[in-house]
Formats: sequence, structure tokens, C-alpha cells
Amino acid sequence: MNRALSWRALIVWALLALLPALPFMSKFYLLLAFDALLFGAIAMSLDLLMGYTGLVSFGHAAFFGLGAYASAVLLERGVLSVWTCLAFAILVVGLYALVVSFFSTARRGIYFALLTLIFAEVVYTFFRYTQTFGGSDGIQGVPPPRLIGEFAIDTPLRNYYMVLVYLGLAYLVCRVLVTSHFGRVLVAIRENEDRARFLGYNVQRYKMAVCMISALLTGVGGALYPGRSAFATPDLMLWTVSGEFIIMVMIGGLGTLAGPVVGGVFFVLLQEKVSSYVDWYFIVIGLVLIFIVLFMPKGLLGIRELLGGRRWRTTA
Amino acid sequence: MDYVVAVLLPQLLHGLVFGAALGLLALGLTVIFGLLGVMNFAHGELYMLGAYAGIAVVSLTHSFWLALLVAPLAVGAIGAVTEVTTLRPLYRREPLYGLILTFGLALVFREGARQIWGGDMRRILPPFTGSTPLLGMTYPNYRLFLLAASSVLLLAIWLFFTRTRAGILVRAAVQDAEMLDGLGVNVPRVFTLTFAGSAALAALAGLLLAPVFTVYPQMGVEMILLAFIVVILGGMGSMGGSVIAAFVIGLAQSLLTLWMNPQRVAIAIFAIMIVVLIVRPRGFFGREGVLE
Repeated sequence: MNRALSWRALIVWALLALLPALPFMSKFYLLLAFDALLFGAIAMSLDLLMGYTGLVSFGHAAFFGLGAYASAVLLERGVLSVWTCLAFAILVVGLYALVVSFFSTARRGIYFALLTLIFAEVVYTFFRYTQTFGGSDGIQGVPPPRLIGEFAIDTPLRNYYMVLVYLGLAYLVCRVLVTSHFGRVLVAIRENEDRARFLGYNVQRYKMAVCMISALLTGVGGALYPGRSAFATPDLMLWTVSGEFIIMVMIGGLGTLAGPVVGGVFFVLLQEKVSSYVDWYFIVIGLVLIFIVLFMPKGLLGIRELLGGRRWRTTA
Repeated sequence: MDYVVAVLLPQLLHGLVFGAALGLLALGLTVIFGLLGVMNFAHGELYMLGAYAGIAVVSLTHSFWLALLVAPLAVGAIGAVTEVTTLRPLYRREPLYGLILTFGLALVFREGARQIWGGDMRRILPPFTGSTPLLGMTYPNYRLFLLAASSVLLLAIWLFFTRTRAGILVRAAVQDAEMLDGLGVNVPRVFTLTFAGSAALAALAGLLLAPVFTVYPQMGVEMILLAFIVVILGGMGSMGGSVIAAFVIGLAQSLLTLWMNPQRVAIAIFAIMIVVLIVRPRGFFGREGVLE
């Protein structure tokens, strides 16, 4: 357990907790910080799959969006307890993730990526055209959730601390996971799936488990989102959003946990900064991604050795 | 009988037309996958660029036919440059890096098109109008042309891959690039030219379909998912499989709309793909053991 908790992480977290005390932290910047940390935490959950297990999920937006819808639906109907919302989101995302991970983890590489993508598209299409959930407008104007009794999480500051707690807990979960025996098996699967199987590990069960954990962490993040934005729309689960999560992981550095958090923060701040000057920030983000894949495949914080590659890809 | 002529037959033809165009798109995608092991996320954007390049040429020269020649060449050149500058350095790396890279390329192309041509929907007039009486109904001439042109192209591609030296080299590179390299063939050039060819095909499909559909920067995003499904159904890397799967999806899409609303059709097609991936991941004609 000692390796799981590092002083450095604790200090960074404490500094983040002091961030709202800075004089220039207006409501606007607090909301920006909320987004940065939320997507950082989601990128970190995705890193469990991408970086540690070598599975690229193109469907994480569905876990995020389902979490957001689960809590927005309850808030809209007057169930205001944040705990009920979170529990419902975990239930909904968990059931969906169970199906997705069961079928997707049976396949590797590109097939895994495409299966997760298509499952997510099914969810997107469902919400996009179901009038009960507002169709393409989604669920708008939901009231803020309540922590205990009448204490509502209705200010940017309260939302910020909510997401900070979520980030801390998610980091703890991921950290414990990757430093455990379970985490080492995941890395073994990434490095050589067949060998891990020959050693007697039930590879698919491990992959399913990590897929579920990653999905649930992402879903909890999604459940916090309507508290900040007061809406849940189908656009949250478009497959291009899944692509953005992947970009965050790549920017930060595969297989580092802290890296993707930095990547998520960097992505949100870059988008905010660039889009306030020009309206073609997607070009900038695309170029950043291309640059990182080409020249910095370890990302901003990458410490892990490059994934080994063969000379010409054969058809095997 | 009235139902057959008035409803079923046109829908069947629509499906064939769409399937043929989809085949052009999927064929390029599957060849690239066979060669580079990369599922090209930017393929839909090359399709979109083809339509816009066509519009640009038509507005300059007022000739659809000239556009049909120039647009694929221009997009093919873009494809070649892209391949050399971004994909070539990734040959030795894990294919998933290529996948992520093409996602970045797609972002750049899509937003670039929106900046140049704006985000609104555009239409392009077909080069000829009118319709032909056919089997008791009338069918638009342009769609018949579209079907004929796509079929001829598919046939030409088949001849290219079976009868010409260049085509056989590409197939050899799909089989075993290292061996081909050992035999003294300039494999990177084969890769680049193939990528350019696949981009040109995507552009051609985009322009051919433009008078039937609308043109907008996001048009590739929806199309690429269908093309992915086609490639998987046909079996990754199998060219014949892709063409057959394209017709299957084209027909399924247009026939299912008779009984379901469009979103249910989309979900049904996703479901077909999920089932195929689970039950038979190598698709109709894919080689056994490919990435299973």
C-alpha cells in the first residue's frame, strides 16, 4: 500500500484544494477548473485500459454520457440527493458496461476499438431519438443536486470541491489497482497476451474487470456533470468525444495515470485558450495530437518505454 | 404488384446505388488496413474533401465532368503528402498509434473544410436531369449513371488488382511487405501510392454521391462508421468481401427504411455488426486468425 500513496500526489491534491483561494479564481475559472479536473480524471480512468492493458476504447463517451443522463433524469424528476444520483449512475453504467465489456474484451486491438465504438453509437442513437429523454436537445435545466439535507451543490466552488474529491478517490482506486498484483497482470496482458494466458491467467476476466472499473469511474464523472452544467445532451456521447478522451491520454502519456490527468487539464485549457482567439481550435487540437503521436509518443509525462513494434506489419 | 413497382423496386435500386458508392469508399479503407494495419479514421474526411473539391471545380469551370477528374487527383495528392509526412514515420510502431494519428488528421481536415467552405449544407446539381422509364417505373438518370459509374470503377479496380503488375505488387505488399522489400521493391512508395489511390477513390465516391446527398463538413463522420461496418462485415483486408458487404449494407439500409424509422435502421445495422464481430470476427471472407 505504501507504493500506492505518494507524497507528491498528496501535495498536488492539497495545492489543488487551495486553488480557489487564489484572488483571480472567478466563477468562470472555477468552472474551467471543474472541467479540467473532471476530464483529467476521466482520461485517467481510460488510461487503465489504454496505457496499462493496451486496449483502446473508442466508446468511453457512452459511459460518460450515460452517467450524465442517469443523474440528469433523477434530478429532473425531483430526486435531488447526489448519492442517489451517483448510485443510479453506477447501476446504469455498470449494467451497460457489463454487456460492452463482456463482448468487447473477447476481441483485441482494432476489433476491441470498433466494438466499443459501435456499442457507444447504439446508445447515442437511442438517446438522440428518444423523446422521453428530450431527443437531440437532451435534458435541460435540471436543478442542482444536494449533498446532505438542504445543502445544495449549486455554486462553482462547491462543484469544484466535489470534482476534486472525485479525482482524489479515482486516483486512489487507479493507483491501488496498478500497483497491485492485478495491475501487473494487466501489464503482462498488454506486453504479451498469449504468454499471460499460458501462465494460467484468465485473460478475458482480467480485461473485463479493468474495463468495468474504467467504465464505472468514467460514469461517476459523468454523473457529476449535470450538477455543473444543468444539462445532459446526446452530444456528450458522440464518438468524437471518445476520441477527445483518447487525445487527452495521448497528450499526457500512456500508462502513467498522472499523465492523462495533466493531458485532460491541458486539453481543456488549450481548447478554452485557443477558442477565445480563433474558432478553428479543432485544427490546433488535431495538430497537437499528430505532433504528439509522431514526436512525443510518451506524452508530456511519459516514462514508459515505447510500445514495441515490428518492422512492416505482416498480416498475422 | 403495385407495391413492388412503386415502393420495393425503387428502394432496391436506391440500395444498389448507395451500395456501389459505399463499396468505393470501403475498398480504399480495406486496402489501407491490409497494408498498414491502420483503420483510417480520416477516410471519411477524404470523402468529404472530394465533394468540396468537386464543388470548387464546378463553380470555377461549370463542368461536372472536369470536377470528376480533378477532385480525385487533388485529394489523392493530399493523401500522398499526408502519408509521407505523418504515416510513414509510424510504420515500425504499434498500429494503434496510426489509428490515433488518423483521428487527429480527421479533426484537421474537417475543421479545415469548415473554415474554407463554411459549415452550412450545400447541394450540387447533377450534370444531367430527367428520368428513364424502367421496369414499369421511372428512375432518375443521374442515379442510373451513379450505379453504372461505380460498377465500372469497381470492375476496373478488380482488373487493376488481378491483371496489372502494380496491382499485384500492392497485393503482395498486403501479403508480406517484408518479403517484398527483400525482393527489391520500393515498399514505402507502394504504400504511398496506394494511400493516394485510396484517397482518390474516397474523393470520387464523395463527389459522385454529392448530387444525391448534401455536402457539409461533418458528412464524413456518419459515412465512415458505415464504411467501417462494411469493412468488418467483408472481413478486414478482404477486397471482394468489402464490395459484397457494401451491397449488403446498402440494400439492408434502404429496404429496412420501408419498415422502420431511420434511427431504428441505424441501430439494426449496428446490431448486425456487433453480432458479426462476436460470432464471426473475420467477416464474410476475411482470412482466418486475423487479429481474432
